[in-house]
Amino acid sequence: MMQKLEKFLMPVANALSKNKVLSAIRDGFLITVPITIVGSIFLLIANFPLEGFLNLMTSVFGEGWDAYLGRVSAIAFDCVALLGVLSIGYCYAREKGLENRIGGAVVALVCFLIITPQRTFVEVEGAAEAASFSGFQFTFLGTAGMFLAMITAILSVEIYAWAIRKKLVIKMPDGVPPAVMESFASLIPSAIAMTVFFVVGIIFDHTSFEYVHYFIYRVLQAPLVGLGRLSGFEVIYQFLSTLFWFFGINGPAVTNTIFSPIHKVLTVENYEAAQAGLEMTNIFTAGFSDFFCNFGGGGSTLGLVIMMAFLGKSNRMKTLGKLSLPAGIFGINEPLIFGLPIVLNPLMAIPFILAPVANTIIGYLATVTGIMPITLGVQLPWTCPIFFSGFLVTGSVMGSVVQLVQLAVDILIYYPFFKLLDKRYLDDESKTSSKTDELDELSFDDLEFD
Amino acid sequence: MNIVLIFDQGLAGAGGKSNPNVGLTAVKGGIGSALMMESHLEKIGAKIAATLYCGNEYFLNNQEEVITKMTAMVKKVKPDFAVCGPCFNFPDYAKMAAMISASILEKTDIKSCAMMSVENGETIENYKDKTPIVKMPKKGGTGLNDSLADLCALIKGTVESSSDLEDIKKRVCY
Repeated sequence: MMQKLEKFLMPVANALSKNKVLSAIRDGFLITVPITIVGSIFLLIANFPLEGFLNLMTSVFGEGWDAYLGRVSAIAFDCVALLGVLSIGYCYAREKGLENRIGGAVVALVCFLIITPQRTFVEVEGAAEAASFSGFQFTFLGTAGMFLAMITAILSVEIYAWAIRKKLVIKMPDGVPPAVMESFASLIPSAIAMTVFFVVGIIFDHTSFEYVHYFIYRVLQAPLVGLGRLSGFEVIYQFLSTLFWFFGINGPAVTNTIFSPIHKVLTVENYEAAQAGLEMTNIFTAGFSDFFCNFGGGGSTLGLVIMMAFLGKSNRMKTLGKLSLPAGIFGINEPLIFGLPIVLNPLMAIPFILAPVANTIIGYLATVTGIMPITLGVQLPWTCPIFFSGFLVTGSVMGSVVQLVQLAVDILIYYPFFKLLDKRYLDDESKTSSKTDELDELSFDDLEFD
Repeated sequence: MNIVLIFDQGLAGAGGKSNPNVGLTAVKGGIGSALMMESHLEKIGAKIAATLYCGNEYFLNNQEEVITKMTAMVKKVKPDFAVCGPCFNFPDYAKMAAMISASILEKTDIKSCAMMSVENGETIENYKDKTPIVKMPKKGGTGLNDSLADLCALIKGTVESSSDLEDIKKRVCY
């Protein structure tokens, strides 16, 4: 059964994690994560969930202090497609083996801006016609443009790389500085990519969609992101991520190729709703996924580590538990994955897969019943410890309470399996101490050397 | 058939980066990641006699001592085969494994191999002529189970002096 499952999963994992397009999109979004986190911190300070803190800030800095902080969070969230097209373009240039990766990234950015509306129309009361001014609007640079950003980055760099491969480049004589040489080599490939997007933009101008943004949004982004609003979405993501880990395959590296763009859109949509004074409706944000599904790393192993450290009877469990606990609090469980081990250990597979799924269901139910508020459109470092993360990402202490309940459930799920493994290790250790042969007294201290 | 495993602290279940200076330790039977190898080893009738390990930084700071003592300990235990790995893409551990395996092959009659992922290019280049090095995926990569089966094929072929040993080596080693 396990072998059959692995035979099926291996090619899937290979196809997804080695696919150049999907890897570039996944890694490109990873590049934007620090920006989103910094933006989130500015956003959190401006909207800190403690009234006293906000009043204090107003008394020190005066009314409107939060607007200044908004300048940073606006770039992180409202320009998410702009950042995405640049970083995905860069990563795809890497995947295509281009030497001039930043050249590819810049072409991707430029192509995206070519097809983005450069004039903004505003209805003015009393005027017969809408007024307009020259400039980009956040609407097209933020979440609504995300899937277009991905497609543009891939296609433009593909064209750029194709032209370079076909040697459609201007060669400079030897002795010209490398930077100048590289710049001229990019000229024709950039021109081809930019012209293609120029034509695409014009074609869409003459359709009922008006802009490519609207077209991609309606035919691709809205249906895909719609999947993320289904109640089973996060459960499937969590289930697959841990299932792959059990076979030693880095689960999220595989699943994020598909799921991370959707998580990102769902998160930023909540931010945009809050900024517009509307109700936030997306439950499965990045914050939900990071802080209400897994505690202590993949498989939600924090509960297990706590038991190992404090309830373990075998020396092996106790030692590994105590050594793994500090890292576990910050969401890292590598010592456990290979040391316990969890990889290829059928006994631990069951709770390892079950615990994140149970957490997801509890978090979902707690949100829809209103026990805790919906997660904000902020992204915190995934190493943010339990209880703090729950409070910050929901803006309510109930977030921490729900995490406490989830941790308790994780402990219950892991308990029987932990006891079985602990007993097995204890038997191993007592066998060693009963001394049946010379191997029982192995020590590096009494070695003889020839 | 008796096997000795040579691990670093991470695989031995003695903590990862939090415990890099743990000294030379010998334990009877298999510990830590040995559990994921047992079902494969059983198929070729092999049993883990002992696991030897030390921290990656302990190795870096005491290279000569670690190599000499690990070799002497393997000689003392007298297994049919010593497995120095699986090292995934952990660079210090991979270097340690390659050096110990080469030393075991050079200084004793015991058969041995190392096992690591392709990311350890320099170590593989420097030691692949001195010890067989079994191919495996990096941490989180695909094909771990298959590579453990490859390892067992090499162990069995080597211990039984199989006629197709060279073919096996060509298939499973760098």
